Amino acid sequence: MRFARRIGTTGLIVYTLLFFAFIYLPIALIVVYSFNADPVNMMRWSGFTIDWYRQIFGFRNAASEAALYIESTDQLIAAVRTSLIVAASTTVIATVLGTATALAVYRFNFFGKRFYRVLLFVPMLMPDIVLGIALLIFFVGVGISLGIGTIIIGQCTFLISYVFIVVSARLAGMDRSLENASADLGANEWTTFRRIILPQVMPGVVGGALLAFIISMDDLVITYFISGTSTQTLPIFIFGMLRRGIKPEVNAIATVMLLFSFTIAAAGLYLRRRNR
Amino acid sequence: MSGFSRRSRARAQLALLLGPVSLFLAIFLAGPLIIMLIYSFLAPGLYGGVEWEFYPHNFGRILGFADPEFEIFDPVYIAIFLRSLRIALTTVLITLLVCYPAAFQISRLSDRWKSFALFLITLPFFASLIVRLFIWILILKKTGFINVALSELGLIDTPLELIYTEGAVVLGMVYIFIPFMFLPVYASVEKLDWTLVRASQDLGANGFQTFRRVILPLTLPGVIAGSIIVFIPALGNFVVPAVLGGAKSLMLGNLIEQQFLAARNWPFGAALAMLVMTIVLALLFIYIRYEARRGDDAPVIR
Repeated sequence: MRFARRIGTTGLIVYTLLFFAFIYLPIALIVVYSFNADPVNMMRWSGFTIDWYRQIFGFRNAASEAALYIESTDQLIAAVRTSLIVAASTTVIATVLGTATALAVYRFNFFGKRFYRVLLFVPMLMPDIVLGIALLIFFVGVGISLGIGTIIIGQCTFLISYVFIVVSARLAGMDRSLENASADLGANEWTTFRRIILPQVMPGVVGGALLAFIISMDDLVITYFISGTSTQTLPIFIFGMLRRGIKPEVNAIATVMLLFSFTIAAAGLYLRRRNR
Repeated sequence: MSGFSRRSRARAQLALLLGPVSLFLAIFLAGPLIIMLIYSFLAPGLYGGVEWEFYPHNFGRILGFADPEFEIFDPVYIAIFLRSLRIALTTVLITLLVCYPAAFQISRLSDRWKSFALFLITLPFFASLIVRLFIWILILKKTGFINVALSELGLIDTPLELIYTEGAVVLGMVYIFIPFMFLPVYASVEKLDWTLVRASQDLGANGFQTFRRVILPLTLPGVIAGSIIVFIPALGNFVVPAVLGGAKSLMLGNLIEQQFLAARNWPFGAALAMLVMTIVLALLFIYIRYEARRGDDAPVIR
């Protein structure tokens, strides 16, 4: 019996290690092979190089000249720029609107409060593709031409929800007695808001903004339908590349993107822990 | 008087906080969804576009009453629909099998390792979805990692057909949905009262009985929540089958995309999307009812 249990325990440990290997080995693989020199088969190791990185950052080299990869580097830079503009705009809009809604639901009792709570879960739970095509039909029907503007509007419809939920969670854990104390000590509503509520809720707002930024940078499906033909964000650029055929520098792009999102996410998770 | 002015000021604050967001969501969320619903009942025009007349045959094409004037009913759409259901359910099941045992192990770690493990599991969720799928192309394709490795070891002569299969689609989905399943399952496992497990063993239950009668019922809420959270994005998914699937693993999402970007039959695409949304809403409705009932009669062990 004890022997059986020991096998069970060991088995569970091995299983869990395999679980983490399943998550992280593929990621490690891509990072390693982004330094592979083989220009024909990216997954056949034939030596170490940093040429692919030089290439995506715009340095020309023999390999890229020969293979005429330069054009896609320009597109890549344009896509990154578009993604950053979109993410910065949506983060600001979604953070303001999401925080305002969370504050309203927290502070006031009003008719339809439950409706708002449910409403704000809808865009998060709806399959991406449904929201994407609904927005496409809407923009085309109303006659708004597709482009960076429609991407920003479209992404905000669901990013507001994420900010709302993160900020609401923060508000729910807040100490209401501090507000009462502030009022008892003669502070007016504005002072109480500025000195008591705002500092307490701020980590939630920052967390919500970070989440909105990451999700915006990564959104593929909804953006895909409402971006039109001439605007590309980074995920759409990569999606197109994958459909047309893969070039070796994608490994390097993928590695840089992984590094970027892991850094932001790690910073966000660290901040959240520190503020708890 | 001052009471009245305070109330009106509160009302003004509320309007200021909720006004913009209400307007935004009314125009850009409710508006599009209502228009999509209307579109799904309009006739497709000859060259893209729509005819403004009531036309139930968009749904008929899928469900069995196709427009008698133009086509006979073709079960291809219902086949794609059933395949999407099958792929989504398989994904849920495998993701659950992958996450459930790991959740038990991680719940037993010391606090420090526990939070590190959770950090490692959450982290990929923030990494680009398309990059994580791209990794699997490189692993699975004909000249990919597995095939190169196996042929260099001399184990195979011709490359294996790994990519562009239904299996590849399921694998890709499992990979990207692990955090969605793990966190709710873990929340349930973490709360599990081990004294009940020990009581069951003391009373002579064997391992399987203890699992079925005690552990499973107590962790079921997490299992159900995780399954729904994975099932919803899996059902309407179009990125994973577009990247890892072939013609034989086409899903509803790909069919919808085709109607909008290639076939230009928008009403039919809208009808397909309505179908996906109906299933998702029905599922959520059932789940909310289940949660509400569970709230009434707290955990009971049968």
